[in-house]
Formats: sequence, C-alpha cells, structure tokens
Amino acid sequence: MSEGAIQRRRVSATEGILACVVLLYCVMVAAVNPAFLSVETLFDIVRSSSTAVIVGMGLLLVMLSGGIDVSFMSIALFGSYVAAYLMIRLKIDSLAFAFAVSIGLGTTLGLVNALLVNWLNLPPFIITLGTQNLFHGVMTTFISDKTFGAGVMPSVLSKFGSATLFTLKTRQGVMGLTVAVIPMCLSILLTWFIVYRTMTGRGVVAMGNSPESARRAGFNLLKLRLFTYGYIGALAAVMGVVYISQVNAVYPNKLVGNELMIIAGAVIGGVKDTGGRGKILGVILGIAIIYLLNSTLIFLGLSSSWNNFFVGTLLVASVAVTSWQNRRKNRKNLLFME
Amino acid sequence: MSNLASRRDHDLYILIGLTLVLAAVFAVVFGESMYSARNLRSMAYQMPEFGLLALGMMLAFLIGGIDLSIVAVANTSGIMTALVLTGVWLPGLSGYGVVAAAVATGLTAAVAFGLFNGFLIAKLSASPIIATLGTMTFYSGIGMALTGGKGITGLPSAFTSFGTAEMLGVPVIFVCFVAVAAALSAFLSRTALGRRMYLYGENPLAARFSAIDVERIGFWVYGVIGLLAGMSGHIVISRVNSAKVGYGDAYQLQALLVCVIGGIHPQGGRGKTLGVVCAVILMQMLSSAFTILRFSPYAKKLIWGSMLIVMLGLEYLSAKQNVRRELRQKIVH
Amino acid sequence: MSNLVLQAKALSKKFVGVQALDKVSLDIEAGTIHCLAGENGSGKSTFVKTISGIYQPDEGEIVLNGNVYAALTPAHAMREGVQVIYQDLSLFPYMSLAENIALNRLRLDGVKIVDWKEVWRVAKEQTEKIGVDVDLNATAIETSMAGRQIAAICRALSQDARLLFMDEPTAALTRQEVDRLLKVVCELKNNGLSVVFISHKLDEIFRISDNITIFRDGKKVGDFESARLDEKSLAYHMTGRDVRYPRYRREAEAAAAPLLAVKGLSKQGHYHDVSFEIRRGDILGLIGLLGSGRTELAMSLFGLNPPDTGVVAFEGKTARISSPVEAKRLGIALLPEDRGSQGLFRERGIRENITSTLLDRLAVGLRAIDAHREREIAEEGVKKLRIRAPGVETPVGTLSGGNAQKVVVAKWSAANPKLFIMDSPTVGIDIGSKAEIYEMVQSFAKGHMAVLFITDELEELMCNCNRVLVMANHRIIAALDEGDMEQPGAERRIADLIGGSARKEEERGVRI
Repeated sequence: MSEGAIQRRRVSATEGILACVVLLYCVMVAAVNPAFLSVETLFDIVRSSSTAVIVGMGLLLVMLSGGIDVSFMSIALFGSYVAAYLMIRLKIDSLAFAFAVSIGLGTTLGLVNALLVNWLNLPPFIITLGTQNLFHGVMTTFISDKTFGAGVMPSVLSKFGSATLFTLKTRQGVMGLTVAVIPMCLSILLTWFIVYRTMTGRGVVAMGNSPESARRAGFNLLKLRLFTYGYIGALAAVMGVVYISQVNAVYPNKLVGNELMIIAGAVIGGVKDTGGRGKILGVILGIAIIYLLNSTLIFLGLSSSWNNFFVGTLLVASVAVTSWQNRRKNRKNLLFME
Repeated sequence: MSNLASRRDHDLYILIGLTLVLAAVFAVVFGESMYSARNLRSMAYQMPEFGLLALGMMLAFLIGGIDLSIVAVANTSGIMTALVLTGVWLPGLSGYGVVAAAVATGLTAAVAFGLFNGFLIAKLSASPIIATLGTMTFYSGIGMALTGGKGITGLPSAFTSFGTAEMLGVPVIFVCFVAVAAALSAFLSRTALGRRMYLYGENPLAARFSAIDVERIGFWVYGVIGLLAGMSGHIVISRVNSAKVGYGDAYQLQALLVCVIGGIHPQGGRGKTLGVVCAVILMQMLSSAFTILRFSPYAKKLIWGSMLIVMLGLEYLSAKQNVRRELRQKIVH
Repeated sequence: MSNLVLQAKALSKKFVGVQALDKVSLDIEAGTIHCLAGENGSGKSTFVKTISGIYQPDEGEIVLNGNVYAALTPAHAMREGVQVIYQDLSLFPYMSLAENIALNRLRLDGVKIVDWKEVWRVAKEQTEKIGVDVDLNATAIETSMAGRQIAAICRALSQDARLLFMDEPTAALTRQEVDRLLKVVCELKNNGLSVVFISHKLDEIFRISDNITIFRDGKKVGDFESARLDEKSLAYHMTGRDVRYPRYRREAEAAAAPLLAVKGLSKQGHYHDVSFEIRRGDILGLIGLLGSGRTELAMSLFGLNPPDTGVVAFEGKTARISSPVEAKRLGIALLPEDRGSQGLFRERGIRENITSTLLDRLAVGLRAIDAHREREIAEEGVKKLRIRAPGVETPVGTLSGGNAQKVVVAKWSAANPKLFIMDSPTVGIDIGSKAEIYEMVQSFAKGHMAVLFITDELEELMCNCNRVLVMANHRIIAALDEGDMEQPGAERRIADLIGGSARKEEERGVRI
C-alpha cells in the first residue's frame, strides 16, 4: 500500500494537464496539417529539445533547492567553447577530452555561483545574472571571441553531432534518432536517482522546503548549494558540448540569452520558484511543449517570428493560473504573503 | 537623527563623491576626449533612454519587486508607435496628427503592458521574477509577430526631430529625463503615496494590516513602470529613426546594476531617486570611457557583470555592519 | 548511579552584557514530565539551547546519562538522546509525514542512499509506538497542527530520544488536540522517556507535570511539585512580585446604541453563526483558544477575511467591510496577533511606524507630507504610550517587545478609531509593559472607544473586560454581560465553559 501510495504521488494534476495539452495540441496540428504526424517531426523535436532537457534537469535541482540560476547558458558556452578551442589549438580529437574539459570548467563556475549565493545572502536571480555576464565576459575577453566554423571543427564533435542511434526508412527518406538522447536519458536518470534516492538529493529538497529546518536536521546548506549549483554547471557543460556538436560550429555569442526558454519550460512544468516542489516529468513536458510550439508553427502556417508570442502566452497563462490558485488557498488560511 | 537614516544618507554621499572623483579622474586621463562638447552632448543623448528604464526598475525594486519586461515593453511600444507613424496602422492621418496618434497608441500600449504586469503581481500574487519573465517573452513576442523581426524605418521627421531637438544646446530628451527624475524624487520622498510605497516595500504584510491598499499601489506602480519604459522606447526610435525587436537588450542588466549601485535594496523599501540618477551618470561616464578606450561589447559585459557582483558584496557587508550596530544599540537600551 | 537523565551543574552563560544563565542547576529523572516556566527572557530557552549543544556554557557541567560534559555540540547532545521540538516544529511542508519522521533518523545512521521501504518502516514503527493514526502519505502542509505535532514527536523518538524538550507545544492546538497530545506524552512517560515542557502559561501542561522549575532573570527560582503550585503563587514566582490589576468598569450610560452589531456571521471552516453587539465604552473580551475562530473573526471585522453569510452593522448602518482600507474609513482598527510581521516596519523609525495609518491626514493627493505635524504626532504618541526609546527616529526593530507593541498601539490610537480590535495584545511582553497596556486600553474605553479584546488568558480578561464572549470550536458558546461579570464565580464559570466544550468534543471522539 505504502509503496503504491508513493508512486501515486509522483504523477500529479499538473503533469496530467500538461500531457493532455500536449496531446490536444498535437491532434490540432495534425488536423490542420497531416504532414505533422511523421517520424521526421518527432525525431526533429527530440533532437532540438535534447539539449534543453539535459540542462533542464540541472535547473530542476536548483529550483527544488529554492534557488534559481540564469547563468547556466553562459556556463554551457564557456565550457564547450574552451573545450573546442583547446581541441582546435592543440589538435586533440577526442570526445572524452571535450566532455572532461567542459564538465570541469562548468562545475567550477557552478561552484562559484554556489559560493556567491551562500555568502551574499541576496536573491540568487540577481547574483547569477551578474555571473552570467561575468562568465561570458571573462571567456570572450581573456580566452577568445573568434567564431570557429564547420571547417575547423574537430571531427569527433562534428561526427558526434550528426550521429544517430538508429535509422528508419520512411517515405521522406532515411531518418535517424540523434545520439544526444543518450546524454539526455542519462541526465534524466541521474537526476531522478539524485532527487529520489540519495540523502543529498533529499537534503536539497529539504532545503527548498525550509532552509532553517534543513539546517536543524543537520544538513550543511553550503555543501548542498555547492552540490546543486555544481550539478547544473556540469549538466550545462555537457549540454554545451552536445549543442556545438549539433550546430557543428562554435560561436562566442550563441546560447547566452536562451536561458529563458528552459526556465519557462520548468515553470510551465509546475516547478515552483519558491523551492521544494517540482517533478522531473513536469520539466520534460514543459520543455516538450515549448519545443513542440517552436517546431510546429510552420505546420500551422505561421512564421517562426510567432514563437515568443505563443511561448509567452503559455507561460503567462500558466503563471497566472497557478499563482491565483495558490493565492486563493493562502487567503483561506489567512496568509497574505505568497 | 537616527543612526540608520544617517547611515543611508551617508551611503548616498559616498556615491556622489565617487561620481565626482571619477569625473575628475576621467578629466585627467581622457581630458578633451571625455569633456569635449561633442562627447558631453552625446552622453546627454544616450542617458535618457537608459535612465528612464533604470527609474522604472527602481520603482519595482522599491516595492520589493523586479521588472524584467521593461526592455520588451520599450521596444514593443516603440514598434506600435512606428507602425502608426509609417501609416501601417491608422492610415490616412498626416502631419502632427499622425505623430499624436502614434505616441498615444505607443504609450497606451506601454501602460497597458505595465498594468498587466501589475495585475499578475498585485492581484494574482505571481512572483515578480517569474511573472515579468513571462510577460517579457510575451511582449517581445507581440513585437516580433508585428514586425517579423525586421526593423521599421522611414519615420516622419516631425517625430524624429524630437529625438534630436535641443534647448539652449541641451537635448530636449535629456531635459525630459531630468524632469521625470526630479518629479519622481519629489513624489517618493514627500508625498503620502511615496511613503506608502516605501512601507509596502519594506513589509508588505504590515502595510496591508496598516490599511495601505497594497494591491492597488502595486498595480499602478507597474503601470507607471510601463509608462517610463514606453517613454524610453519612444526616445530610442526617434533617436535612431527605426524600431526593432531586440534593441537595447543590454539595458536590462544595466538597469538592475544601476539600481544596486544607486543604493536601491533588491528586497525593497530602501533607496533614493538621487542615488539612481547618480548611478546613471556614473554608468554613462564609464560607458563613454569604454567607448573612448574601444572596449569590445564583451569586455563591457565582463565589467558590468563583475560590478554587479562587487556591489552586491558591498551591500552585504554594509548590511552586516548595520546588524552589528543595531545589536549594540539594543544592548545599550 | 541514580536514574537521572540530566544533571545540570551550576551552568552559567553570558551574552554581551546580559547574564542569560546564572549558576543554574537542575536534575531530571528518567520517566518524568518536567516543566520549565518563566517569562520571556528569563533564561529557559538559553538553558534548553545549552543542553542541546547550540550554546556552550561559560561555566558548569552537564551530565547526561552519567557522562560528564563541560560543553556539548548538537551532535553530542543528539547521541545522548537529547531532542528538542521547537515551536515552529521544523517540518518540511511539502514532504510526506513519513519522510518528515524518518529523514533525521536515516541521516543519523549515515545513510547515503534512501530506501523508501526503510523510510516507511521507521515512520510506521514510531506512529505505532505511540498509538496514533495519522496519514503518513499526506504532506506536512496538508496535515492539521496536531498531526504535525505528532509527526515532530515521532521524528524525535525515531532518533532514540531519552530527553525530549518541547517548546510551547500546545500554543497552536485546539483544546481536544491538546488532550490528545497530552495523552501521547503520558504514554511516553510510561515508556521511560523524560519530557520537558517549556511554557509560560498556566494550563493543562502544568497539571500533568511532575515537577515545575521556575526561571527568572537567568536564575532558577526553585523546583516545585506541581501539586503545590497554584496560579497565584506561580505568577508570583515568575515575576517576583504580587501583581494585581485594576478591574475595568464601564462608565458610559448603559442604554447607548450599539456601535457594532454582528448578526449570524459565518465563514465556512472559520466560525459559525456569530452574533454580538458592542457599544462605545465597552471592552468586550473575546476569549478562546488558538484555532477557536477568534482571529478569523477579528480579521473579518477588519476586512481581511470576507464572511460567507451574515450582517454587520456599524453605527446603525449595514456595512460591508471588504478591505482594511474600508475598515479604517469606518473607524475600525486592528492590533494584529503577530506583532513582528503584521504590525511593524522594523527598519523604519518610530515616527514612520506611528504615522503609517495617518498618511492621508498628513498630506492630500500629491501634496507633501507635513513633516512638522508628523513629528508632533509621533512625539505625542511616544509620550502618551510611554514608549521608551532614544528618539522618534529609532528603528522599531531595536525596541523590546513591550515597547514595540506600544508603537503598534500608538499607530492605531493616533488614527482615533471608534472600534479597536486587539488580538492577543500582551503575548511575549514583560509584566511591566503589560500593566501599562492594560491601563491604556482602559483609558481608550473611558474615552468612548469600543474595544474588542481578544485573549486566551483568563486573568487579563477578568481585569480588563466588562463583557465577555466565550468562543470555542468556531462558535460563540456563551456571552456574559456586566451583571454576569460581577457575580462572584464568573472566572470559574468562564474557565469551565472553555474546558467543558473541550470535554464534549473529546466524547465525540475527534480523530486527529
């Protein structure tokens, strides 16, 4: 009974509603344009959203801890750019090297965030907005601000970016599922394991519930922060390498500024910015909705310039509904602070 | 006088002193290139669009919120004005009629955007960060949908002349900025509503229990922020003679930074308009210095980012000292 | 060796300038219920924090289960079986009760990988041990206060508690929940656990305690067998003086029309079918325990909790009090229950706090605030309410509880309300300030203000109120008018009313 009860709680109303929204939307798009229903579209969406899901898992952990991070794209760029830069300069052609360098750097920058959040005791949003610019500035000023095109990209990265897990023959031609699903699935599994199976993960959730109670329970908040911000740094770094491989070029000014889409995905997926509440499935569905929107506007006959409009509408609507519900519940309990 | 109040004034004097020192240092280092009439004038042209956004952010900070949508509001309201100006919307008007209609459209939209933020935050109790993150996407999405990402050019000179007009050698838009800042300063420090805003920012719950209509104040403050952002958007399009999504994205961070430098506490209830104006001037001087030094935009990013972190660090240290002082005071009494 | 769990020997602890503990010695036997009593700041919390390892004593020793310590760390204390349940319970609101109960235990065992079966096993074991039935699957925030209290106890027990400190455990519980809790505690005692209550109120806790230790000014006044202590002697020991407050009697003419008339007011889950009247010059006492609906009713009258049905008439006219702004316009003020977060702007000076309700009077529209007038008002408030502070610009966050509360009173009395609702005005306030606040309240009423005085302390109710409403289980169960109050057994009667309603509830068998 008890086990079943835990399981039951894992899927709640938010995820159910989101899944319905995704389904209904797909049906609608398919009705307008049957071409939407193809393996190609599916594989395309998986490919484009895989990077977002990887770093979204890190964001989930940070938001569960009651914090927020807007510097992760800066970190992703920093790690992957430096990795690629070194590979090109030193003529190293190894995927392991790329990931090792990137993850090393990403984790370090994440730890910097953790220390600042812990010491300054000010809103993490403003702190990480500062480090977002700081990291990007350090990279472009002190390392390099050149663009590396497809011609000079290390061949392992190019191959990794276009590699497929398996291919299907369809009427449109041969379709392959990107290998990026491997790091994506790994990050999901790892995050699930951390959040639901490790004491550190429960500590992170506990801290998001109530920092003071977590401290009294004997958790070391600094260590937990180092872990969460380090974790998102590492995942961002992984995502950066996957991203430059998929794009098959390294730009000094891409990625940064795209944090918003991931945060939007998490919020739509029901993760609360006040900490302690959020589910993996929610984040995946939230991100899925955003990328679904992005890649299906064409099927509806709209140009991609409508992207932000629809994502914004969805985000605002979800924020409005959840905060109104929360407010009503609070008022009933005579709470006037949200 | 209380220690606390005097300490805050103290911080402001330090800021003013710092600005003056920097001005003097720049005079020695850059001399003519910084203080030439041309450069001073170009600074006066650049300051208003950014300064108005900073004042908007200040209002949000003061009531314990934040507004991440100001740049999006500025751009989209500018785009709407440009659409009327170029005759895409409301065709058939001409001369000053079209300018009046355009500005009315743009500013109304800006206020509506702001009020919508206010509705989400004050009436639905959404968290300001998340709510304005959402509306930022939404508003810029509207601008994007309206233009397809392309710039709108060819604005009538009846409109653009405003952005370049001068009064006794001083740009009119600069005069506008100074007037708005002075009005806001007087409003915040002297009127009952201004005082209520400070009280709201310091403790929204106690404000509610003191019969201060926090929801109405919050709603309208975000409306005013929208208006300020809209004004900034109009100044931008009249100065550069085109409207486009994505203009001035860097202002978002700079507006936050200016508020922090200007002594507006990010958790609400503390800070003065004069501090923000000082910080705007300080930033503009630094900006000019960077231009003279030919810093890349990336180097600027580095400097703004590290400045924000350093300022937050100083804020933290000063708060810590303050707690110690209060403790000592408590023991004495 | 005797069966002493704790022996504190001459513990002293000094904080900058304040002797928080002064050579306090205390023995606690296994399998007893002990109570630490004393006013706020008397040293009882410092004592608990010293035993649980949060503070290190300057002098003295602590003997736990026969092991001698000069100073403890929290980890040491826990290993010796010392557990503290703070007033806020330290639960995680969005985690299941099962996890709330078991998490600390697993941490203590150095578990790195969480096995949910183990979590449930630990949680079940503890709840079964004390024989209560709570929904372990529910998150803490979905659980009643009593359920949370039980979870906190289970959490402590799961960590092999031998000495359990509980800080004001009954403050937020309804009467039947208290009975339930006390039953659990007696069960624990029979199993050999020592329970120490920290309380400043004379209530049922005292009745089940074996011993009571009273603290005052950092010193131990003495140990008493609870049977030998009554209300008067306890108050005497706690304050060091015999306190008698003057009794309030209404002077205004008896037949005045009611200022506020409430008829059939209901709000689902908060209060039901409430009717009463209050005249100018009345201090109408509203006594009831936390959770009885008293605060909910007060908030409704101040526009913060719109009722479902019923009529409120103010000065003879039907009033719809939809917001605090509307309430203030009518002339209704509320001194909120939680002074720190609801009543004060801690970083602001006394002046700005006092005038926060008067701003519309000091400046109209866009005109500037009359600074001179504002300062006058503030200084007047400070003088009238005898607020002890260096000046009107002193931040209220630096004031003592009593002086801070006077600022809240001053802020509303300056607005000259016709009806002043005071919700628990003397919680956490020293005896001296208490007397001054009573004096103030009575002078307000003499000046033809109507006061609705909400409290859960019988003594202050009796001396301040000329009429009384007794509230329990979301209803007004009795109304005593001036005649009833003059009857010799009035105090006993009110006490029985509160107790009686609780007993009836118990008979109906309410599940936590």
